[in-house]
Amino acid sequence: MMGKRDVQIYFRLNWRLLAMEGRVSSAVNTPANMPMTRRKSYGRSCVENPSLFWQTPGHFPALGHRIPSSRGAARSRNVLSKVDPEQVALLVKHEWKLAYVTPLYRFRHTQLKLYSKHLTAFIIAEKQQGVAIEVGVEAGFKVTISTILGMAESEDDAETIFIQIHSKPTFGAEALKLVWRGWLTCVNGDREYLRSLPPDFVSLPLFCSSGSESLTALVRSWFERTFDCNFGSLFLNSTTLNWLAALWTGCHPSSNIRFLKLTWTMPTQPSLDIMYTVNPQDAWELWNSIHTEDSADDRIHIDEVQQFMNGLETHLFRHFKIYLSAGTLMKVSTSLGSAHHEGKIKIGSSDYISTLLTLLTECALLRTPV
Amino acid sequence: MALLAPYSKIPELNTATILLVENEEKVQSKLADAIVQREKDVNVNVRLACKLPLPVENSETRPRVDLVVFIVNLLSERSLQVVENSLNHLRSDFFLGKVCFMVTDARCGALAQERLLSVKKLAASHRCPVICAEHQTEDGISMAASRLLTVLKVSAGLSPVATTALYLSTLTRCTVPSELDED
Amino acid sequence: MNEEARAILQRVLRRLPSRKTQSTLRAWGCLSAQQLEDLDYTQPKWLLLENLISKCEESRLHLKDVTKLDMVYHIENPNQGTWHAFKLTEAEDEALSVDFTQFKEMFVAHLEEVVQHVSIRIKKLEDGAVWIRIAWGDNFTKPNHLKPTYAVHYLQTPYVFILNLAAKHKPFVYQALVLSTRHVSINEAHLTGRSLTAMRDLLMKQYQQVFPNQERTLKERNAPPSHPNIDKEHAEFAERTHQMACEAFGDGTVPKLETAVYKLETRYRGSNNNTLSDRDELFRGVVRFSSPNLLESLRHCVSTGMAEGPVTPLLSSITQKGRNYFVIAEKVPGATSQTPAHKT
Repeated sequence: MMGKRDVQIYFRLNWRLLAMEGRVSSAVNTPANMPMTRRKSYGRSCVENPSLFWQTPGHFPALGHRIPSSRGAARSRNVLSKVDPEQVALLVKHEWKLAYVTPLYRFRHTQLKLYSKHLTAFIIAEKQQGVAIEVGVEAGFKVTISTILGMAESEDDAETIFIQIHSKPTFGAEALKLVWRGWLTCVNGDREYLRSLPPDFVSLPLFCSSGSESLTALVRSWFERTFDCNFGSLFLNSTTLNWLAALWTGCHPSSNIRFLKLTWTMPTQPSLDIMYTVNPQDAWELWNSIHTEDSADDRIHIDEVQQFMNGLETHLFRHFKIYLSAGTLMKVSTSLGSAHHEGKIKIGSSDYISTLLTLLTECALLRTPV
Repeated sequence: MALLAPYSKIPELNTATILLVENEEKVQSKLADAIVQREKDVNVNVRLACKLPLPVENSETRPRVDLVVFIVNLLSERSLQVVENSLNHLRSDFFLGKVCFMVTDARCGALAQERLLSVKKLAASHRCPVICAEHQTEDGISMAASRLLTVLKVSAGLSPVATTALYLSTLTRCTVPSELDED
Repeated sequence: MNEEARAILQRVLRRLPSRKTQSTLRAWGCLSAQQLEDLDYTQPKWLLLENLISKCEESRLHLKDVTKLDMVYHIENPNQGTWHAFKLTEAEDEALSVDFTQFKEMFVAHLEEVVQHVSIRIKKLEDGAVWIRIAWGDNFTKPNHLKPTYAVHYLQTPYVFILNLAAKHKPFVYQALVLSTRHVSINEAHLTGRSLTAMRDLLMKQYQQVFPNQERTLKERNAPPSHPNIDKEHAEFAERTHQMACEAFGDGTVPKLETAVYKLETRYRGSNNNTLSDRDELFRGVVRFSSPNLLESLRHCVSTGMAEGPVTPLLSSITQKGRNYFVIAEKVPGATSQTPAHKT
């Protein structure tokens, strides 16, 4: 335990040092050292308030650099050729609640069996407060932790882990009932950031869960105690939802998206929901008129995304004279998936799963206090 | 279009006027109450508006405005848009220390961070300070009110310390890290 | 008491909140005051059901009586399920003189003429509403009392509200309604909602309307500033927008509609630059507004400046025309649109 704390303190100091360096180097700002400052932008000190905004007028860390202004167009990757189809099926069609996770300390992919046992014991112990529990006796619950190999896209990504909790009926030989599932993943995580982590840390920044809140809380607290990490809720802000709307619409020629559905909530009394379902072909033609596929690497720029969404919002405004910008974009959905402002997603098809997870990994990393 | 001008009227004795501009009209009235109740020494007038330009009908009765505060609710894009449009209706000498921005909900987890950045850039390009305010608690409102009063007294020339609005603004104005300007 | 009667009884009892059970059973009027006294309404529902069934058997009640309870339940709780509004058109001369007895006899006669197994119950309430309950069967089966259609009509008005009407039964009901009310035809009014009273109030304009040249009564709404040193620059403007919002959506308590749907087949009117401007086809989409109280939300939206004035005819048509489903189609030279053009 002592050793672990030492490392942690060292880690924090290390970051503060980097952050200070970053400030010095920003004074002599040349394009040549831009990648350097970018890397350091992740390296803010831990003692700062994670929301960054407690300081009033002065400097704030290079926030803008953390938000990429362009990304690759969604390309259908045959995930099924890399990943076991049965395992992919586990991820599709459920609604997942999202959270971000700070890097896990001394997490080993080789120890999953042991972790399963410990988590089982932990859950049972928490459920029967005060009664001693022997590790290995599985009364009431059974936890399985496994790896989903092949989800990782780059060599720096850690492999995805999948957790299932079954409840065991006390009597009889009834089948186990799946009551909770969740997974931690990292797809195309920021390379500079992942490489800058000290050796004992594994970053799986995106946590998705489906099942009762109480079990989610137990799993989270076990991870927090065991791997000295932290969970926090992950919202999907309008920028992220805009990105998804554009990326999914761009997929239409190769994979029918069936509809593009956008939902805004206006802060009226009582609140007003406006749901706009756009014909997929028309949405794609609009996107196609904005986005030009000129280069070989098909990059999409944030300006194009903005223009696309503005186009749709203006179209509605010309009809109903309602300023949608006064409200909040709550939900974007197509047959490829859906994403909700409050951090809930559904994956409709495995085809574009890596595009979605890349974006969400990035959101999780942005929210992670460093 | 008549621009709002800071020096077109004669100031009244021991009086300062603050104009709160907020599209949603959510925070401004609470803030106005806190401001008038807090200040005992100086006669403070508060004018509330949802946008600029101000109605021409009121121009006769309106006292000289010493400080314009643009309140941006960071959860709403429209809030920022209205402020951006309103800026064009101020005479440029207001920007010599008589304008400030106030943002709310900056701590909210669902915030689009780009919006805060836009406000900061907007403020920096107009050489104005940005104040972050907490509007959901009474303490937050009264803290925001006291900060605005401090700025107001300087910009109205009522501060006993030898500080001018121009001098204060060079100290408090928002600066955005230089590398962001290159984007 | 057969199985079907039990099933209906069970369903009604399950839906009733415990505190309303006694009053509903009293309104039903098939059990004696003593029998109602004897029942213990705090019991769990399954136990209460058993006791209720034994009381019904005591009084030799039949399926017919139980369906009456189902109707009482629906009359007391008209906000269950989705109602559709219909409008009778081209009234004949006798239309104004049709009274309840006449209507009832003719409606039953016309419906029984075309459908062999049908069970109809008609009741007129004090507010003038005529409630019709129809359980449908066909040539070989008995009427299914678990899936009845309900219709509500106000005599001498052109409006009918219908709940749970299957497509195959539509022509029968249409015909019976048209003939018994002395009209020539009946059309869908493109108004649906969960609240029967809201739809009635909207169509019959029974809510507080505000007219453009009306004396301003809204002034007191705009609370004066709390302190003499606080002035609202846009007080006048806010009052005007509020007036405008009330003209479009009504003042005070407005009919509680939940949704409004617009099917848009119009030219793309997005950004100013040239995206899609040379396109001939229409930009298709469906816009659905929903809220616990749509008109109140829209009024608030307009009066707080979240919408630009004046209120667009698309939105004000909800109250003006009493509809909440619209097809907005634009005529395009060369392209033929399938839907009838309705451009407001």
